[in-house]
Amino acid sequence: MKRHSSRVPAILAALAFALPAAADVNVCVWGTITGPDAGVNGMSYGTVDYLNYLNQTQGGIAGQKIHVILLDGRYKLDEELKIYRRCVDQENAVVVKGWSTGSAKALREQVQQDAVPFISETFSSEVLDPAKYPYLFIQGATYEQQMLIGLRAAKAAGAKKVMLMHGDVEYGRAPVTVVRKSGAIEKMGLELVDTIEFRYDAQDLTAQLLRVKAKNPDVVYIQASTPQALVILRDAAKVGLPAKLFIGNMYNIHPSIPEQLGAAAEGFRAIQLYANYGDDVPAMKEIAAYKAKNQVEKEDLYFMKGWFGGKFIAAAIGNAIKKSGGKPPADIKAFRKAVRDEMVALKNLDSGGIAPPCSFANHQGPTQARMAEIKGGKYVAVGSWVDAQ
Amino acid sequence: MPARRRLALLAVVVLAAAGSFALGRFGAYLVHSVAIAAIAAMGLNLLTGFAGQISFASGALIGIGAYTAGNLGNAGWGLGAILAAGVAAAVASVVIGLPALRLRGLYYAIATLAAQFVLEYLFKIVEPLTKGISGMNIAPLVLLGRPVASDQAWAAISIAILALTWLGLARLMRTNVGRAFLVVRENELVAKGMGIDVVRVKLWAFLASGFVIGVSGALVGFTTRLASPEGFGLSLSIDQVAMLIVGGQGVWAGSLLGAGFVVLIPEAIQRLGEALHVANLLSAMREMSFGLLIVLFLLFEPRGLAALLRRLARGVSRIALPHPVPDSSPVVAARTPAPGGTREKAL
Repeated sequence: MKRHSSRVPAILAALAFALPAAADVNVCVWGTITGPDAGVNGMSYGTVDYLNYLNQTQGGIAGQKIHVILLDGRYKLDEELKIYRRCVDQENAVVVKGWSTGSAKALREQVQQDAVPFISETFSSEVLDPAKYPYLFIQGATYEQQMLIGLRAAKAAGAKKVMLMHGDVEYGRAPVTVVRKSGAIEKMGLELVDTIEFRYDAQDLTAQLLRVKAKNPDVVYIQASTPQALVILRDAAKVGLPAKLFIGNMYNIHPSIPEQLGAAAEGFRAIQLYANYGDDVPAMKEIAAYKAKNQVEKEDLYFMKGWFGGKFIAAAIGNAIKKSGGKPPADIKAFRKAVRDEMVALKNLDSGGIAPPCSFANHQGPTQARMAEIKGGKYVAVGSWVDAQ
Repeated sequence: MPARRRLALLAVVVLAAAGSFALGRFGAYLVHSVAIAAIAAMGLNLLTGFAGQISFASGALIGIGAYTAGNLGNAGWGLGAILAAGVAAAVASVVIGLPALRLRGLYYAIATLAAQFVLEYLFKIVEPLTKGISGMNIAPLVLLGRPVASDQAWAAISIAILALTWLGLARLMRTNVGRAFLVVRENELVAKGMGIDVVRVKLWAFLASGFVIGVSGALVGFTTRLASPEGFGLSLSIDQVAMLIVGGQGVWAGSLLGAGFVVLIPEAIQRLGEALHVANLLSAMREMSFGLLIVLFLLFEPRGLAALLRRLARGVSRIALPHPVPDSSPVVAARTPAPGGTREKAL
């Protein structure tokens, strides 16, 4: 009995620390901390770290401490739906930052009913509709826009024949279908010679790459994630196709590609929406200052995206608090609406060089991108920012 | 079931359903998640725990229920969409069960696994019915002219359907068909020897089990408002089997306990991690600890939580009543064959 009673204060103290102070502004972030796409979870850590950085260096936002809740959605729809309810109902979050395309689609009506600003990590055009979903935001060019930027760059470099490769999941198939149906490739003056769909968990794509070789395209655009890009580039080298033939999207800028493939990855290009970790941009000074006192979980481009997301959230919350006389509106519904209005009103958001200055009136923020190429084992920007519009 | 017990059960269900409206949205979400998972687990329990047919296709059957309800719900069928979902899944379940007429045990389990993969693939390619990989958006169910959109309302509806399912299945098990399930499970040769049409009995098991799982799929569709192939994969089937193992096979309460365990334990681990400031560490260990718990159940209590709770209750009553229970107690009387009758009659 004595042993049990000695544990009680410790547990109560732990619970007390876990609960937010009454005056805190709550922001809820969920990502894949453990799960199939945990490789890009810097997007969640970056946002959490930026808001904590503001707490440590500026006492929060506009004098209000931010209580950031980071949860693990495990890339499971039911888990993400559960977390969303916790964020809105239990945590009273003024902003919710979610994760997958699936959850954004499943929750988009709910988000409007709850009138809570919701930012998703997806780049799917299906959830981007400011008129229909005024509380839903993404942070960058859609997958379709990225594809067009990549193909435009290829066209500028003299390409005539193009092939598309994508996984057999929504993330792979949907953007490719939209672009094909739009006729944008033909309008650019390119000829689409073939489209290859492959199993998303395929470990060998030699047969598909032999088909690519037979069609002899000038460029192959990949709509897939890092693990699939690794398989494609590995098997391309096996059948004698150079990496410079391939262009990937934003999720193909990952250190593991040059690290694991070495020379076979040289020349591979991908769409870059945010500055690399370690680039000479002002935001890196903030990150370095934060890192001096805290542990930074991920040091990659996705962390930069997360840091950018934190700046977006902080700017909107800060403006909303200032406009309500330096104190957050007492009513959470009014506060959420004020933050949403400030998100839309943001102009020339300075992200410290992570992305070009942007506004969120379009609900997607930066629509500019540039090409990055693997040179000497590193991604190097090989062009200036191009607007997807 | 005596009328008094029926009334008591009805009162519990009404109270639980009404209580859902007092919950916050998160609490209500947990309640309907557990209730819906329990309904599917009861369907699988009927097939596996009572009729002895192992199946790994329940995830796909839930998918069939969700897609059917989605299509019909979007067309304004209301409650009829839930029933139709049950019928569609029942038909699919019988088709999946056909190999069971020739295969047994592990071989049949592998056949259901194949069915799971085939159906998953069909969800991706039959775009007119499933909207393919993008998934189908499902409009809220309309009841009495009003859309059901709140988690509290869904919790109440799910509890009511769970109670109906429980009563219906318990009643089924008291019929000749239900008793035949048990004989077929124990020994098919003996069943044949007793004049039981084994093929017919198995088909009944597939039909009833598929219907219940399909109804649960309809509820999944209406509560998530999205049916996509990724949501009805093998992992969902494995979760269902885990519910049976943890809860206890051949016991209806086991399905509810197993569903509660599988749905709530990850949340409990998450909250513990947050309270102790080790959320990320525990998050990483969540799947592992979940697997470990299942192994522990298999090793130490293969009859599941239902048996564990029964043992605990017996232990508590032994502490509370240290003297041996007299033979005339109703418990013992129920277990003792009535004079001149069979044990089954006495039960």
